[in-house]
Amino acid sequence: MCKNSNNFIALMSGSKIFLQQVLALLAKDLKTEWRTREIFTSMFVFAVLVVVVFNFAIGADTELIRQVASGVIWIALSFASVLGLQRTGQMESEEDSLQGVLLALHDRSALFIAKMLAQMVYLLIVALCTLPLCGMWFHIDFIACIGELGIVFMLGILGLSIVGTLFAMITLHTRAREVMLPMLFLPVSVPLTIASVYATAQLIAGMTLRDNAGYLSLIGVFDIVFFTLALLVFDYIVEE
Amino acid sequence: MRTLSMLLISLISFPLLFIRKNSVFQTMMMYIVMVFAILLVFIYAPNEQMQGIVQKIFYFHVSSAVTAFSAFFLVFVASIMYLWKNAEWWDAVAVSAAEIGVVFCTLVLITGPIWARPIWGTWWSWDPTLTLTLVLWLIYVAYLMLRVDAHAPKRARFAAVLGIVGYVDIPLVLWSVEKWRTLHPKPVLIQEGGTTGLPFTMILTFTVCVVGFILLFFYLLRERVSIIQSQHTIEVLRHQIDGLSTG
Repeated sequence: MCKNSNNFIALMSGSKIFLQQVLALLAKDLKTEWRTREIFTSMFVFAVLVVVVFNFAIGADTELIRQVASGVIWIALSFASVLGLQRTGQMESEEDSLQGVLLALHDRSALFIAKMLAQMVYLLIVALCTLPLCGMWFHIDFIACIGELGIVFMLGILGLSIVGTLFAMITLHTRAREVMLPMLFLPVSVPLTIASVYATAQLIAGMTLRDNAGYLSLIGVFDIVFFTLALLVFDYIVEE
Repeated sequence: MRTLSMLLISLISFPLLFIRKNSVFQTMMMYIVMVFAILLVFIYAPNEQMQGIVQKIFYFHVSSAVTAFSAFFLVFVASIMYLWKNAEWWDAVAVSAAEIGVVFCTLVLITGPIWARPIWGTWWSWDPTLTLTLVLWLIYVAYLMLRVDAHAPKRARFAAVLGIVGYVDIPLVLWSVEKWRTLHPKPVLIQEGGTTGLPFTMILTFTVCVVGFILLFFYLLRERVSIIQSQHTIEVLRHQIDGLSTG
């Protein structure tokens, strides 16, 4: 009984340390970003650029643009997330700062979770800034279904961040990093992209979350499966 | 359903890998079965009534698909085993299976349109199975590129991670493309060359073909793994010679 309670206390304090480390790493990343605003600026400008270029490619047909708007938004987000991950990776590999962080950590998955959360924060802010612009340019009323859209975007961006962070950590150790990251990231995230695009499109078209249960559960399963898998394999990636 | 049964066949075929002894016997078996399969396809099996001679590509197309799926499954298993046991042999198996799998997957993607053009009237349709095969091809080509591009000490581990992630992605891709296709019209022309209710002669030919392809796969796999092992031996020897000459 006593031993059990000791184990329990050890586990509790272990998870407390883990949580502290995650929060410290996240705070470090966000603070650096707040001072430079380097990653966010490049992601946001790139996302806007993608939307604008797609707008020219599609032409002046307002109805057509409304139909493909959700696809354009998600493509912009996933391209922007590739860009952001590359910037993050570049900063980490300068002066071997990643190595230092790894040495300080008790459990290395803390690093994964912190990086994933940071990426998620950047993407959410980019989405939050890009959506009003898309609404204005494409004549779509996002406000009407903002709550439902919020859930889809939260889950979808979580998935993009999980897969993206995992592959960003792998491509840190490759020669042609700029090529390898999208090469790995885009095909694996195909299910997520499909589900997010169609869930968003249906919400814009006035359907409810209940109509989208299939797509939402697909996004949820994708998030859970890849989060578990990433935690399982992350040690093998960062191990020397 | 078709994909599920393919996965099932690849699961069953996996234990064949462990018949590792007696390579001459296996090679001869492969050769005989392949020749027999070609004879069956072109001489024994009847022409399909609706599709005519074009339907014969079915035997090679579906056999390549089964082989590609078993190869990717083997990449998955070998990747897990490599991370677990950390033995070079499993890594050699994984990369060999991935290379051969990409070759067979390419064959599927080439024979598919050739068959589809006269039957469906179009080179390509975004049917779930086709889309899945295309996405898989992209994932495993990325796997091979990662192997070339990653820095040496971590290459095998990264590849193993991608081998696992890629295979776990298959059911999710399948789920998503099936949901996605329901929004689009299905191909209206004649569906698949009657996978249900095939006459016995066709089923026999098809089975022999699949067995032949699987044997070919394991033959290629064994050769590729032994090449990798020889390369490894040469590397070790070279290091020893360098050590002798400097010391």
